[in-house]
Amino acid sequence: MPAILSTFLVIAEIAFRNLFASKWKTLIVGGIIGFGAFLVVVGTSVVDGVDRAMRRSVTGSLSGHIQVYSNKSKGELELMGSMGGGPMDVEPLNDFERIREAVASIPNVAAVVPMGVDTAMVSSGNTVDQALGKLRSTINALEQGDKSADTLKKYDAQKAHVQQMVRLLRRELDNGKLVSDQRLPEEDAQALERASSDEFWASFDGDRYDHLELLENKVASLAMDADLLQLRYVGTDPQAFAKAFDRMSVVDGELIPEGKRGFMFSKYMYEEMIKLKTARGLDKIKHAMEDRQEKIAMVPELQRIVRENRTGIRELMLQLDALRTEDFRKKLQAFLKSDQTDVAQLLASFFDTNDQNFLERYDFFYRELAPQLELYRIRIGDSLMIKTFTKSGYVQSANLKVYGTYNFQGLERSPQAGAINMMDLVSFRELYGFMTDERAAEIAAIQKAAGAKEVSRENAESELFGARPTETAEAPAAQALAAESAADPLASLRGTRELKEKREAAFNPAELEKGVALSAAIIVKDENKIADTMRAIEAAGKERNLPLKAITWQQASGLIGQFATLMRAVLYATVLIIFVVALVVINNALVMATLERVREFGTLRAVGAQRRFILAMLVLESIVIGVSSGAVGALLGISLLLWLGRVGIPAVTLELSFFFSGPRLFPSVTPEQVMFSFITVLIVSVISSIYPAWLAMRVSPREAMSAED
Amino acid sequence: MTSIVSIREATKDYHLGKVIVPALRGINLDVKEGEFLSIAGPSGSGKTTLLNLIGCVDTPTAGTVEVAGRDISKLSERQLTDLRLHTIGFIFQSFNLVNVLDVFRNVELPLLLQRVSSASERRTRVESLLARVGLSQLMKHRPSELSGGQRQRVAIARALVTRPRLVLADEPTANLDSVTGQNILDLMRELNQTEHTTFIFSTHDARVMAYANKIVRIADGRVSAVEELDERASVREGKNQSYPKLSGEA
Repeated sequence: MPAILSTFLVIAEIAFRNLFASKWKTLIVGGIIGFGAFLVVVGTSVVDGVDRAMRRSVTGSLSGHIQVYSNKSKGELELMGSMGGGPMDVEPLNDFERIREAVASIPNVAAVVPMGVDTAMVSSGNTVDQALGKLRSTINALEQGDKSADTLKKYDAQKAHVQQMVRLLRRELDNGKLVSDQRLPEEDAQALERASSDEFWASFDGDRYDHLELLENKVASLAMDADLLQLRYVGTDPQAFAKAFDRMSVVDGELIPEGKRGFMFSKYMYEEMIKLKTARGLDKIKHAMEDRQEKIAMVPELQRIVRENRTGIRELMLQLDALRTEDFRKKLQAFLKSDQTDVAQLLASFFDTNDQNFLERYDFFYRELAPQLELYRIRIGDSLMIKTFTKSGYVQSANLKVYGTYNFQGLERSPQAGAINMMDLVSFRELYGFMTDERAAEIAAIQKAAGAKEVSRENAESELFGARPTETAEAPAAQALAAESAADPLASLRGTRELKEKREAAFNPAELEKGVALSAAIIVKDENKIADTMRAIEAAGKERNLPLKAITWQQASGLIGQFATLMRAVLYATVLIIFVVALVVINNALVMATLERVREFGTLRAVGAQRRFILAMLVLESIVIGVSSGAVGALLGISLLLWLGRVGIPAVTLELSFFFSGPRLFPSVTPEQVMFSFITVLIVSVISSIYPAWLAMRVSPREAMSAED
Repeated sequence: MTSIVSIREATKDYHLGKVIVPALRGINLDVKEGEFLSIAGPSGSGKTTLLNLIGCVDTPTAGTVEVAGRDISKLSERQLTDLRLHTIGFIFQSFNLVNVLDVFRNVELPLLLQRVSSASERRTRVESLLARVGLSQLMKHRPSELSGGQRQRVAIARALVTRPRLVLADEPTANLDSVTGQNILDLMRELNQTEHTTFIFSTHDARVMAYANKIVRIADGRVSAVEELDERASVREGKNQSYPKLSGEA
């Protein structure tokens, strides 16, 4: 055996044996290093897991791997919503067909999906309005001569329901007066007074339309329960979207058919915003109790929901007509064993749930009460009026059929990914304020109907002040409409109703391809070549004179996409801080240990050990501690991760379920992560031993001579 | 006989803050090869400082100290270390063994520092020396499992394993009982005679001094007396006379 190796071995032996010789030092240093290694292994693995999960969530749901948008845009593309909440300032991509052609020519591109993301306000519907709507259609049938028993019965029931609503409203407003200064305008108060009077209802059948008009115009608006929902949606080619994004699946109803206009709710939004609030509250409590083992008695959030359910029964009460009120009374009295006759009181005590009675009441609600209720304010198959403000400030609106709901697997409960709804791209273009072929045709029709004609700048003067003032006077208005894509199509389209009807039904699928889009999602074949593919896309754009800018899914999803990076930064900062503290503590412990061993170092120096021998010895000692305790820490970390990899880390909040891409994160541990933690630990132990080793190295051999105390 | 140590007008000052404390005030000393020499003097007389100079763990403030023909003031730290490693063996008052290594490893250590490459050679040398000091049976023991005398034997073996020309022993029996101390001194004396290794040891114990064939007395940083003793006579005397009788001095 070569001498240098023997020397090394004896140093190693001294180092190793010294671990046991000074136990407290080993314990402190080893404990810190072991903990550090544990933290690095577990931390990097969890962050990598989140990174992977996020990638799967984001790329598989909305953004794809790459988003392409116009490089002329002033703002940045932010699919998941911007921090400021304002609209994106993105230039549209004209002629999507050419863009698809350019991008699809790149070998690594698997799919190209056109899209645009925008936000609109949607009225969720006023319960009184809805009831009045039903009543009006029944009255229409009656007035047209349908006197069947069925219609008459329906008429009576609906009339009674409206009457009950008005009474309820009256009582509510009276109560409101007691607690607040708010007073109704005199006119409204009188209207309500009249509508709730017995004479009003006695004379109702005399002039149905007249009475209905009072209710519709004066009373319904007082209900004030129609909240405006803010809906984010993506306009896309629904068929292509469903094919490209493997995590999307239809929950209720069906996918918007090819060539059809339509809307789909995200299941999460549908449940959260459209469902009857009390029912949603029950769902939430059940989920918390069953999936998270929470107790109402322990969790303030659940207590809040119970409180809201107890007091928030108005929405439910408004749905009850006389028949159902009676039915509810009987069922609730039996269930609660109460002789209370006021249904509102009965409901309030029914919803006053606790951990003992919750599940029984939940079942009772869905079995007995829910079938009598409209659980969702907007049903699948209904049409939805969506209003937007275009960039130029005009209001656009579209009436779209709700085809169904969908969700992204693993993100069912995530507000981030779950908050995006879907519509066909053609409707999106209109709502966004683009000029489509149809709209151009429509405007031409308006112009024709209004007798307007094109006025060019050159001959404007003669046209405008020429021989036929009556005709040309209309022109500027139509012109403005055309230029700004029309203010309110419903208002201006009275003359072209048949055109509108036709438009709602369907469009030519080719139109979807040919028009504009805000961006395109690219799905790649090989995820490792995203950067190359992005360069290829921009190159292809330049070659074909298309203004293409490619960004990664992280960039496209804004802050959310950066979350994993942020988490990694936080982890590394934490590790850094821990290791700086560790450096100080370890350094101190080693200096103390060195001072205790001055005689040993002096002796070694006296008998002929060079300084570097002492240095090597101490550094090696630290490495031995580092490696052995690092190995213990890493092994603990690996075993924790193997266990977590089997049972998963539960996503306790909705946000986490997005970051985990599902209800649980299953972290896995790779050799790279273990190597990384090992190297970190090694560096720390070497650095922390440098100063004590330097001190030891400078111990004079004279120290060996001094007598022991 | 040639001088292995040659000291001319060596002084050594220590700085205690701004005060300069002279430890040696001009020492002249020659040590011949093969001598069994005792440096004697009370505490604070400067004998440890002198031993440090001879042991090449310190250098003089003025004057020259030559060890094995080399002026130690002219050597670098590294060269001094090499000189210690190859020429000098050390025996300490408190034994100073590496506690975490067993007896064999402790004795082998200087050979490893010398980079003696053959493991079998190291083994032969360590084992023969341990046999000489009577510790063959205890090779695998740790120092903590040995008595004081046994530990000092290990230290002697460690000092001699490199076959140094000079062995320095700083109060080698101070921490031992008298019988054990005698045995250690007998062993040193025997090795001095068989291996012709030069031994220099410091002591303030007259019984220990009696083993030497030359006593250099130090007082106040100067050599106060040099006593040449007839080797055999002194040893015989030291051995034959009862211990308490000689303890009159110091």
